[in-house]
Parts: sequence; structure tokens; C-alpha cells
Amino acid sequence: MDIPYTVHARPDTGLYNAKIGIWLFLASEVMLFGGLFSAYIFLRVGADYPWPVHDLDVTLGFVNTVVLIASSVTVVMAWAMLKLRKFGLYRLNMAITVICAGVFMFNKSLEYKAKFAHYAVKLTDGTLLTGHLPHGYQVKFEGITELNLTVPLKKSAVFADPVGYVLPFVEGGAAKFKTEDGKEITLDESTFTALSAEAVKKATEAKKSQATIKLVATSPLKVAAKPSEIFGYTDSTLTFRDGTVATGKLADDKMTLEVDGVDARGVAQSEKSLAFDHRYLGDAWQKAFVENRDHHFEEFAKNYPTRDKNRSATLQKEALFFKLHSATPPAAGEGHGDKHGAEAHAPAEGHGDAHAHHPTVVLEKKDITFFSNFTPKLNTYYAIYFTLTGLHGLHVVAGALVLAYFLLFDGKRLRQDPEHLANRVEVGGLFWHFVDLVWIFLFPLLYLL
Amino acid sequence: MSDNVEEIQKSIKKYLFIGGLLILFSAITVWLSYVELPTHGQNILLGMIVATFKAALVALIFMHLNHERSVIYKILAFTVVLAIVLFALFIFSHEDPLVFSGFYTPSDQL
Repeated sequence: MDIPYTVHARPDTGLYNAKIGIWLFLASEVMLFGGLFSAYIFLRVGADYPWPVHDLDVTLGFVNTVVLIASSVTVVMAWAMLKLRKFGLYRLNMAITVICAGVFMFNKSLEYKAKFAHYAVKLTDGTLLTGHLPHGYQVKFEGITELNLTVPLKKSAVFADPVGYVLPFVEGGAAKFKTEDGKEITLDESTFTALSAEAVKKATEAKKSQATIKLVATSPLKVAAKPSEIFGYTDSTLTFRDGTVATGKLADDKMTLEVDGVDARGVAQSEKSLAFDHRYLGDAWQKAFVENRDHHFEEFAKNYPTRDKNRSATLQKEALFFKLHSATPPAAGEGHGDKHGAEAHAPAEGHGDAHAHHPTVVLEKKDITFFSNFTPKLNTYYAIYFTLTGLHGLHVVAGALVLAYFLLFDGKRLRQDPEHLANRVEVGGLFWHFVDLVWIFLFPLLYLL
Repeated sequence: MSDNVEEIQKSIKKYLFIGGLLILFSAITVWLSYVELPTHGQNILLGMIVATFKAALVALIFMHLNHERSVIYKILAFTVVLAIVLFALFIFSHEDPLVFSGFYTPSDQL
């Protein structure tokens, strides 16, 4: 059966059917993105932190804007060329459109990748440090001699599973233990099943609510895990996510951070930020920070004498979110935190260290309240940023796939029924313009304003 | 829908011109966002006005909404109204809905 009105207009609507279809679909798409833009407004109005402005890579965002606008022009040109039966130019414009989509997604992937590797660390006084973790971040325990496992007899959320939740973090993998009755075992799936069955039997006979298994390591163990991979720890005990408690000694929970920014907007007296403690960045950086801050405040007072410095979000950011561009603080009177000054102070010789242009601090755990890479976990801005750009990116991929299909696999229609293909391209193009239209709002809202 | 050959030939130049205009206005948006206006809210308002203008160009020229059949305008009229309602919802996040809608007046404001 032929689908009616694919080429010629239906008399009552005056349109071919697919066009009504795509506009109905686009209307629903407007509501989909509208809901998320509405969420953006809610999150921004309710944000209890300075909303990031110009924090994303504006150059990359602008390049992507130009790429998307260019592809919008080429897709409408492809349609026009098809209408004029200039098939070569149709194919060229279509190919450029699909390539533009690829460039857009490539740039997006660069942007996402940088966010995943970049961290923000909140200190107890409200200071936010940004930077990179050259070695990742792990809590390390050593001298672990004892594991205490708990197997509840009733169904429970926490259930001993040392093979899944303990062994992956033990240095050297498989470990040998002695059980309470002196048997020597290598902990794995089958030995643990046998062990827990025995313990459950004993506990049932003794009418206890849970079975406990005590394992003594034949040689002291070392454990290293990310904070998210364990449940919690003290100086002498480490609790895994299956409820297993290890007794040992905390070896290291300090965080090595290559600092590229000090955001003191959350600190009442910014010059006294914990970041400038003698253990961390120290007096010289503090001086550079104060100099940069006061410079911005003075400039602002000079340029806008009637305005309140506390009410300008951009001034607060420029003055109090201090970017570090060199490994050592700039000399007095030079480089007000801008790139020009920083280049002069970049180390002349690299010391074989790719990150030599940032100072490294070793943060103590007690000074850290929160840390995250630049992902939705960090704050609501990055949550809505990833949701909106992620959904938009999916639309770019979907649109590009449809247009690539017309270009590569619709050659028969191109020869036999170009008018029908022109309608298909027009409909695909309408979707593509909508994707561009969404980006026209996303770019200023997320990158600029 | 422009169907005849001469009209399409004419519109090709228009598409290129609008594309250039869109890139120009994108650059203007970037520049405007760095201008220090009395409040940041004014920066946002200005940026959104430029973005809406750009979006209108895309919708009218590239999406051919400047000469479309009435049935499509009818579909879009619903969309526009509902989208405006969505964007107005945030008012309830910092206005008491009862006071705001006039159902209730707090005693200290009587």
C-alpha cells in the first residue's frame, strides 16, 4: 500500500502529510526542552551559590554555534538544490551538514572530557579550590589483620560479600586468612559460601539474629579505595560497603591537588581563606590574591563610581575567584591574575611535569567538606548543563543520522522521485533547524549569562 | 512553501545572508555578555532578546514559517501558549502562590 500524500499536498490541509507530522513532533519537542529550560530558571532562581558565568569554554561554545548555524544554512541549501534538480550541489550541501554535526559532537566530547578530569574541592571555611588530582584520590589503610563479617539471618540491605566489596581494594588481590577454628583459607566465592553457610547454621542453633565471621589475615594487608567505594573509616577501622569491618591503621587520606583556582566568594574575609594557610598556598599566593582582588575593586570603583561592588556578580567573580597560572606566585606589582601577566611567570623550563604551571597542595581530610569533578554531583548548574547539552547532543546525533541516511541510502528515490526526496529532506531539515534553534538559547544561557 | 524555480533561486541568496546575520548576532551576544550593565539581570534580558531575534530568523526564514499554511500556525499557537505557561511557573518559587494569586492576604499586610 502506498502512503498517501507524500509528494503532493492533501487538499484539506494544503500540506503533504509528513510536514504536519514533523510540526506536531516539533511542538512536543518545544514542550520537552521548555520543561528543561523551566527547570533551569527554577534552579537558577533557587541557587544558594554564585551561578557560574563564563565558566565554560566560551571560544569552544562560539565555534560550535558557528558550526551549527553553518549546517543550518547548508541543510536548507541542500533542499533548495534538490528542488532545482542540481543533484551534485545537493549532495555537497548534505555532506557538509553531516560533517558539521560530527565537528559539533567532537567539540562537545572535548568539553565533557575536560569536565570529568577537573575537580572542585570545598574546604571547611567555604573556600572552593579547583584543579586536578594527578594521582586520583584514595583512602589508604595498612596493617589490616582482622576482618569482621556480618551475615544477617533475615533479608537485609547490608549483607557480607567480601569477594565483591573487599577483595577488589586489597593490594595484591587474593588474600589468605585463618578462620576462627584455625583453618587456613584463600578467600573466594566458594570458600566464602561454605564459610557463611556454616556460620549461619551455628547462629540459627544459638538463636541469634545474625551470624558473624572473624577472619585473621596471615600477613598484614594493605587497602586502597576511593571514598565512594567504601562506607566509612576511622583512624583504626575501615567499613566496606557490605558492612565488613577491617581493623588496621589509617595510612593516608590526604588529597594532592594541583590548584588552578581559588574561589573565595563563600568566605567572609577572603584574604583569610584556608587556601592561604601556611600548610597550603601560603603568604606569597595570599599577597598575589589580595593584590588581584584590590586591583579589580579599584578599577570597578573608578569605572562605575555609583555602583555597589557587592552587587556585581561579575566583579565578585573576577576579584574573588583567583586563577593561578604559574607554579610560583607572580612578583609584586605584576600580573593581576590575567593571562598576560601569567605567561611572564610560567616556568621557562618544563621539569618533565605536564602540570608544572600550577602549584600543588596536599590537603588534609579534616579541611575538606566536599569534592567532586565537574559533573552533576558538583552543583545544580552542572546538573542542568549536562542534562540540557546531553539531550541536545542526542538530537544532533539523531538528526545527523536521518540526514546521512537520505544522503547515502536514498539514491534510488533521488533518481526516480526527487520531489519526494525533497520533501523528506525538508522534513529532516526542519528538525535540524529546531536543533539549531535550541542551541541559540543554550549557548547564551549556559556559557555567557 | 516556495515551489517555483525562480523563487527558490532568489531565496538561496537570502539563506546565505541570514546565515551570516546569525553568526554576526552570535558574536554580538558574546560581546554583550562581557559588558558590565547596572545589574546582571539586564545582561540576561539583553542576551535573551538577541537570542529570541536569532531564533525568530531561523524559524521564519530557514523553517519557512514566513509563508506557511494556517494549520501549522494553529498547532504552534497552542505550543507558544503552553511554553509561556512553563516559563512563568518559576514565579511560584519565590512568590507565595496564595498571596500572588490574590486568594489570601497575610494579616500584617491588611
